[in-house]
Amino acid sequence: MQTHDQTELHDGGGVADHIHPEPQTFVRKYIFSIDHKIIGIQYLITGSVFFVLAGLLAEVIRTQLMHANGGVVDANTYNEIYSVHGSAMVWLVVIPLLTGGFGNFVFPLQIGARDVAFPWLNMLSFWIFPPAGLMLFGSFLMGAPAAGWTEYPPMSLQGQAGTSMWCAAIFLVGVSSTLTGINFLVTILKMRAPGMTFTRMPLFVWAQFATAPLLMIATTALAAALAALFMERQFGVPFFDPTKGGSPVLWQHMFWFYSHPAVYIMILPAFGMISEILPTFSRKPIFGYKMIAFSSVAIALLGFTVWAHHMFTSGLAPFLQLPFMIMTMLIAIPTGIKIFSWVTTLWGGKIRFTTAMLFAVGFIATFTFGGITGIFLSAVPFDLHAHGTYFIVAHLHYVLVGGSLMGILAGTFFWFPKMTGRMMNEKLGKWTFWLFLIGMNGAFLPMHYQGLLGMPRRVATYDPQFQTINQIESIFSYVMTFALLLFFGNLLYSIRNGKKAGSNPWGARTLEWQIPSPPHYYNFKHVPTVFAAPYDFAEPLPYTGLEEELTDAPGPQPASVH
Amino acid sequence: MSQRSRNDPVVTLDRNFWVVTAGFAVLSIVGVIFWIKFPITQYLPAAVVEADEIDQLFRFLAASSTVLFIYVVGYLIYFSIAFRRRASDPPDAIGVQVHDNHNLELWWTIGPAIFVIVMAVFSVRIWYGIEVNNPGNGLTVESIGHQWNYTFRYPGVHGEIPDAMHLPVDVPVTLEVTSTDVIHSFWVPAMRLKADMVPGAINTLRFTPKYPGTYAIICTEFCGVNHSVMDKQTVVIQRRADFDKWYSGWVAKTKNVSDALPKVGAGAILLTGGNAAAGQKVFAATCSACHAVGPFAQRIVGPGLKGVLHDPAHPTLVDGDSASTDNVAKILRNGYAGSMGQMPNQTTNRLSDKDIANLVAYLDSLK
Repeated sequence: MQTHDQTELHDGGGVADHIHPEPQTFVRKYIFSIDHKIIGIQYLITGSVFFVLAGLLAEVIRTQLMHANGGVVDANTYNEIYSVHGSAMVWLVVIPLLTGGFGNFVFPLQIGARDVAFPWLNMLSFWIFPPAGLMLFGSFLMGAPAAGWTEYPPMSLQGQAGTSMWCAAIFLVGVSSTLTGINFLVTILKMRAPGMTFTRMPLFVWAQFATAPLLMIATTALAAALAALFMERQFGVPFFDPTKGGSPVLWQHMFWFYSHPAVYIMILPAFGMISEILPTFSRKPIFGYKMIAFSSVAIALLGFTVWAHHMFTSGLAPFLQLPFMIMTMLIAIPTGIKIFSWVTTLWGGKIRFTTAMLFAVGFIATFTFGGITGIFLSAVPFDLHAHGTYFIVAHLHYVLVGGSLMGILAGTFFWFPKMTGRMMNEKLGKWTFWLFLIGMNGAFLPMHYQGLLGMPRRVATYDPQFQTINQIESIFSYVMTFALLLFFGNLLYSIRNGKKAGSNPWGARTLEWQIPSPPHYYNFKHVPTVFAAPYDFAEPLPYTGLEEELTDAPGPQPASVH
Repeated sequence: MSQRSRNDPVVTLDRNFWVVTAGFAVLSIVGVIFWIKFPITQYLPAAVVEADEIDQLFRFLAASSTVLFIYVVGYLIYFSIAFRRRASDPPDAIGVQVHDNHNLELWWTIGPAIFVIVMAVFSVRIWYGIEVNNPGNGLTVESIGHQWNYTFRYPGVHGEIPDAMHLPVDVPVTLEVTSTDVIHSFWVPAMRLKADMVPGAINTLRFTPKYPGTYAIICTEFCGVNHSVMDKQTVVIQRRADFDKWYSGWVAKTKNVSDALPKVGAGAILLTGGNAAAGQKVFAATCSACHAVGPFAQRIVGPGLKGVLHDPAHPTLVDGDSASTDNVAKILRNGYAGSMGQMPNQTTNRLSDKDIANLVAYLDSLK
């Protein structure tokens, strides 16, 4: 069969097959690398380290709450701990893992590209991220931020010195996010392999495509808010202090104009992962491909119109509450389409319950639960009761732990073989899944009840009537932590000792599985041509140009050195 | 081959599917009945009329969500079991190659859309009653958040009441909340209502107390190290006679208390001959830095002053005296300092007696 000469296939404005020599030094290969796969893994490792730190903070929180009078740490330290826990989980864990980590590693392979559009920018994005994380955790040394991850002024104006450090750290992560968003968007628009039209893109690519503009546009609003808060704290420029004519509610608008789209930054890529894993292990096309793809975009667009539903009690004019309530309820429709399509994908399948598949199925159940409580909160009268209570804590953890984190775990079990060439231990993986599912639900389900009955969030001590229920939650949270220890143990063990994976251990059909594990520096020996969407298990693979991938044929040679 | 031909197999659903679906229907009915019957007030008392309405909304949301959840997770579990790969399946076995079904997709778009509309109508109806159409002109009470306690102000009571907020049953209440320092929140779980107390702004809750009792007020907006213990004060809802006794007790007790600063000069200001047009100029030059010519709630630093002398909802001034021209002049001369903020006195505001007379005439003309 003929091989394609890419310089001919790409006409005019397309991307020429522009090859640079593979770096040889350790520093250029693994530290200051411009290879999207290495950068992706760098994000995954850094994000995991921050995840462990922020997770330990969560266990300090749960241990404190074992007793109504606290007793583990004093109130101020407790406030610092949950503020840094929340900030770190959102900005240093979930967003970087899903976009910088899995996004970077997986989607350029899935569109048949050799790298992202701006590899140097990609390296810059990554290297902004670890210092920002160190700054956030380092703020403990100077008195950490202590007004929650939302840092509402005027409270945050009174905050300790570390609050300014928090502004700077989050601002930097935001810069990193914005750059990543631009990079991913351009890559998806300009660097798809020939024949990969939009309706042939894998759904994980669609998810990143919907996420990238959110990263790019929404994060700038956060940057403005953080800069204003920093200036007010350090130089007394009055943006938010009402005694100087500022408006504390202005911060809330700017913060949530970012942070609501950020909710979708934290869940859309996980949706994409689930949409890859379900068809692979059901041995069926994903049900309703177009509806799943378009609903991601619909969610991203609607996501910009609902931010003030976080502020129903802040004194929003009644006639402003109404549109925000209705728009929020509307998001239930595209989200419902996705959930129904996933469930229907299982129908008539030949389902193989690998650990990745278990996490994907578990994701649908727990995310649905978190989504439903979100509908509750969209109704203004109910929100007047539930806002600021443990019901919110329960809701957001169902979405972020039962949604985003379950997605990350599913994705790790799924793509680990591609990243390392080795399999993770499936038996340990299944223990991880069941313990995690039980621990997660046991820890967060009772919080709904507790919140509705009168327990506010962000309290270091509480009404003794809630002590038993808090102890139950804490014990289940230890089960969840144990499951995550199993996961990390499995991960570290399998990097060196896992079974050899081969190129395609799951029988998956997207492009990344058609090349060796781990992939070569250049990803593809020849950029493939794509003929159809990837999910037709009855058809031959819809690609040409991949014939030499698993042979000893030499890779592409750099034409010239720049 | 650029376009794959689409020959999806014809889908038939077996008997098990319909049995399971019927099972979910039975479960759903049980779930709905559970939420209709669930005795919410045994777990959390309802103190006001609005609490009952919000509980109705909760029942509706919980019941419909239960049905949705039973079907989604029910099918998820059923399909996972029914369509698992069995040991007898060949290793390359594939599932039924269905891509989509436009009818099904149409229905699971329209179905949730209808659900959203019903829910929106239900929510908006209750929202309208609470936020827009509530007859809140029985009693106006103010609550002020501090780090870390609440104080309460009543018309005719000088100063602030520190311990509890008393309310009579069946009288519509307008509660106006603000804060002197950071954002607090006024939440009474038994009322199912809360409002953030934002410094520099006034937020309003309207409700009608219904069931006598003592109910906790809890702060839900993080407000500093003692946020956790800002839950010790209460709303006391009592019968009219008891309330009147409590209220007149406070009126008598605070009769001689004044929030105003010591007088600057002796004697009353002569208000006759005040010129409203000249007063408007004084207002624009001096007062408008902190006060809007707008409704009470339109706060810059101090409240909006349109109707300060003619607002039935605010029959008293900041110091608890009735809103008369003489008392307005008194505040302009003597200033005010207290939880509601600070109003400069004649030494700092540099208004002449003539300016004050003109201003009062101007304020009196605003209706």
